[in-house]
Amino acid sequence: MIQTKHIHRSHRHMSLNYAHSARQRIYGYVVVPMLLLAAVAWVITRFGNQTLPQWPHLTWGILIGAIFVTFTRLLIAYAFALVLAIPLALLINHSPRAEKILLPLFDVVQSVPVLAFFPVVILFFVHFNQLNGAGIFILLITMMWSIVFSVVGGLQVIPSDIKAAAKIFGLRRWQYIDKVLLPAVVPYIITGSLLAWAGGWNIIIVSEVLHTYIPGADASSDLFGIGSILVQSSAAGHQHDFFMALIVLIVFVAIMNIFIWQKLLRYAERFKFE
Amino acid sequence: MPNDLNLNKPAITFTNVGKIYPGNPEAALTSVSFEIRDGEFFCLVGPSGCGKSTILKIISGLDQQSSGQVSKPDAVAMVFQTGALLPWQSVYDNVALGLKAKNTPAKKTAEICTRYLEMVGLLPLAQKFPRELSGGQRQRVGLARALAVEPQVLLLDEPFSALDTVTTEELHKDLYKIWQQTKKTIVLVSHSIEEAVALADRVMLMKAGRIEQIFNITLPYPRREQEAAFMHDVQNIRRMFFK
Repeated sequence: MIQTKHIHRSHRHMSLNYAHSARQRIYGYVVVPMLLLAAVAWVITRFGNQTLPQWPHLTWGILIGAIFVTFTRLLIAYAFALVLAIPLALLINHSPRAEKILLPLFDVVQSVPVLAFFPVVILFFVHFNQLNGAGIFILLITMMWSIVFSVVGGLQVIPSDIKAAAKIFGLRRWQYIDKVLLPAVVPYIITGSLLAWAGGWNIIIVSEVLHTYIPGADASSDLFGIGSILVQSSAAGHQHDFFMALIVLIVFVAIMNIFIWQKLLRYAERFKFE
Repeated sequence: MPNDLNLNKPAITFTNVGKIYPGNPEAALTSVSFEIRDGEFFCLVGPSGCGKSTILKIISGLDQQSSGQVSKPDAVAMVFQTGALLPWQSVYDNVALGLKAKNTPAKKTAEICTRYLEMVGLLPLAQKFPRELSGGQRQRVGLARALAVEPQVLLLDEPFSALDTVTTEELHKDLYKIWQQTKKTIVLVSHSIEEAVALADRVMLMKAGRIEQIFNITLPYPRREQEAAFMHDVQNIRRMFFK
């Protein structure tokens, strides 16, 4: 009995580390994202509709603000991409019919350049004066596919013994998703996300320099961010500003790589089958 | 032992069971009929593709026969060749898998898991993760996980085939002890005739989807591979295996 108690207690202790308990899940999946979104909303209202700074007043402070605004848009787009991509991947995995229809469709959509496809959608956002929405939408469409394809791949390589064990030990559908499928694809979500962010950074310029899609618009329709600063400083011949912006971008991406992706890739190891 | 077991009611009955997989002209099973008694240690041997795994899949409910009747209990559990443990869960959580699926209260889960972790000798490693364990220890976790759902029939799908000789022998001893303690019906699929003779009451040799012969093993436990009677039984089965 003493040992039973001991096990029980240390098991609870363990679950704190691995987000098993219900409370832990609520924090992980609800509270933290909510706080993140609140912070994001604040940043956007603070900087989001700010017009581009007047030259030659570009400072390091403005650039750091700009990169955080760009980062925030990427983060929102990424959150939506995850929320859409994972259920889509589960659906493709679950139903051979869905796979037959959706996978080729996604392949086509993924291969066509975002900007050839979506001027209409972007004009829709612009019509409702949601410039940020337009920018985030472009990023979302770019980021989503690598997560979908990566997770579908991850679901396909789950060992058949694991699936058999889940069935024999009586896991019901949601338990199966929660306890087996989702943990099993964690490494694939992470590699897919890495590619998604790489694609996202690649396309920040087009997601911010929106006036090119809007008939008769000028640079005042562009979104404030590191991408639009890069374009405008370059177009105006302000090479010094351009290089300052480039440095900020490179340093930021490098920091993200070291402090987020490297750590996540290491974290993914514990979810791999041998 | 088999004589005593004849008094027990059958735990599993196959009557004229056939199995055909779509796209495969060869039947996986052809009119297979046999009985496994409650509390019996039954072993299936035969060359790859002989149908022994198909029988295990049908008993486990992972697959269904194409023809014939199968009577089996619902409460079955399986130990897998690869272990099939969840790498992201601790030993304890892996053992608790089936109990959690049934929403067993945490306290009762802890009691049951402790009991079976102790039985397989892994209680001190309850908080470790599968990657920190040896191959033999992982199979013990798989065994505890299967026992924890307190099944009527325990299915073992070549659970020792990836282990070294010493580890395999230790696990054989422990499995025998656990069988004696729990009185479970055990169905073991093995590629090793020696293993079958060392453990089973009866050994069923299969070939090409049919039962070749069922052998009674009446040697007393513990059985030793060096003894003449043991080698005699092994030779008997081997002769039919390669005939």
